[in-house]
Amino acid sequence: MAKFLEYVPGTSFLHRMNPSVKLICAILFAIACFTTSNLVFLGVLLAGAVALAVGCGLGRETAGLTKAVFAFSLILAVVLLLTTPTGEPLIALPWGYLGTGSLLAALTAIARLEAAAIPLFLVFYVTRMSDITNSAVKQLHVPYKYAFTFTSTVHFIPVFMNDMAGIMEAQTARGVEFDGSLAKKLRLMMPLCVPLLVSSVRKTNSAAIAAEVRGFNLRTRASGYKDYPLRTEDYLALAACILILGAAIALAVTG
Amino acid sequence: MIQFRDFSFRYREGADLVVRDINLTIPDGCFVGITGAAGSGKSTLTYAVNGIIPHCYPGDFYGEVVVEGLDTMEASLTDLSRLVGSVCQDIDSQMVATVVEDELLYGLENFAVPREEIPDRVTEALAAMGIADLRDRTIDSLSGGQKQKVAVASVLALRPQVLVLDEPTAELDPASSVAVFDLLARYAREHGTTVIVVEQKIALLSDYADMLVIVDGGRIRFADAPEAVLAHADELLALGVNVPRATTLVNTLADRGLYAGPTVRTVAGAVTAAKEVLA
Repeated sequence: MAKFLEYVPGTSFLHRMNPSVKLICAILFAIACFTTSNLVFLGVLLAGAVALAVGCGLGRETAGLTKAVFAFSLILAVVLLLTTPTGEPLIALPWGYLGTGSLLAALTAIARLEAAAIPLFLVFYVTRMSDITNSAVKQLHVPYKYAFTFTSTVHFIPVFMNDMAGIMEAQTARGVEFDGSLAKKLRLMMPLCVPLLVSSVRKTNSAAIAAEVRGFNLRTRASGYKDYPLRTEDYLALAACILILGAAIALAVTG
Repeated sequence: MIQFRDFSFRYREGADLVVRDINLTIPDGCFVGITGAAGSGKSTLTYAVNGIIPHCYPGDFYGEVVVEGLDTMEASLTDLSRLVGSVCQDIDSQMVATVVEDELLYGLENFAVPREEIPDRVTEALAAMGIADLRDRTIDSLSGGQKQKVAVASVLALRPQVLVLDEPTAELDPASSVAVFDLLARYAREHGTTVIVVEQKIALLSDYADMLVIVDGGRIRFADAPEAVLAHADELLALGVNVPRATTLVNTLADRGLYAGPTVRTVAGAVTAAKEVLA
């Protein structure tokens, strides 16, 4: 299984799509998810996103991602459950009640976050970082420095995760036990943030210097080697995402 | 040609000079090996060649360093990077791409190498490092040694006049280290490239270098042909620099008056010397 946000080579439909179109489609899809509150529609979007991931052979990566997003959205869902007293009352609370509407809001939040996250993360699993940068520079006219900074940030996430895993392994070898409650784990991990920060700053500095001595400051929009022509599939994908967004807006307007 | 003239440097956050009174001339096409104990100032010397000092690590810069006619203090890092290709110590941080081919393309695109030249340069650099089969592999799937070869290839593709490598075989096994040095030496010979390598493996360096530079406490203690430098085996050991066993053996024979020939660097040389003694 690929590490978090690391490119997985392949020849799927998504792999072959234009990088900029992938990014735009993922953003349109995410906007659609946040525009609508229709749980059925969100369910369809979520199912579509999962089907897309499985179709690209990224089922395991997506399952891992889904679990991580679920943990985060669950916190949000609990807050919504306890603070949105709507619909038929199910359980009385000292400050109101937990109703069917609360349950719906919580489920909607989970489905929305899951559906929005999957395509966004898929973009990084199916696209080379340099293609995202170069395509954004050539086709979306994003200044190279900003595009490179963005992709480098994403590129460093797994690097720093590896570093953290290494630091934790070293601590485990010295007898620190990270098993146990989340609170205990967090308490043990807090002091490790300092060495991680130091190593991150050092790595970032080295990366910046390495990029500079390879002509980073000379880069222009025209100097990119690869071209990223738009193909029929790209137009179809864009049209589909615009339709999805249109449908989400329509559902939001009509209630 | 690279010239250090009375060069001394102190990092901004440091109290002492890291390198001092450096005077050294490196002719074009020379293969230079720099070695010395940890913290002796080896890497700082290479930073002075590729312009990382003073452009990225500011501090007190004394004297001058001239690379192919460019004063590194006055020339921009960008101008220097057109002349000097650098492979840093931290290979993982140097990687900017997710796929090997893209890593090589990065520098070529930055320097706006003509589009029609790019495929040949990529193929040639990969072949020069013996990693043509890794072209479509993701960087993450490579071993440390393979990453180092990719890092070197990504710089070779730029065809620099000067190549600076900071411990390029740190993550390689002995056989792969020899292979990398073979490839580097051949490439340098074919292209007339000046190569400056910081390396702890002195036996390896002495096999390939035209000039061996021994740094101690920020000063150059020896800068000469490997045979001439290795003749000072006792002093080198006192400086914390390991001398090849073959050299130590033959120097011992010479000290005892049993051998009067030149200093040897290799096992084959030691065998020849031993046969001469036994004859």
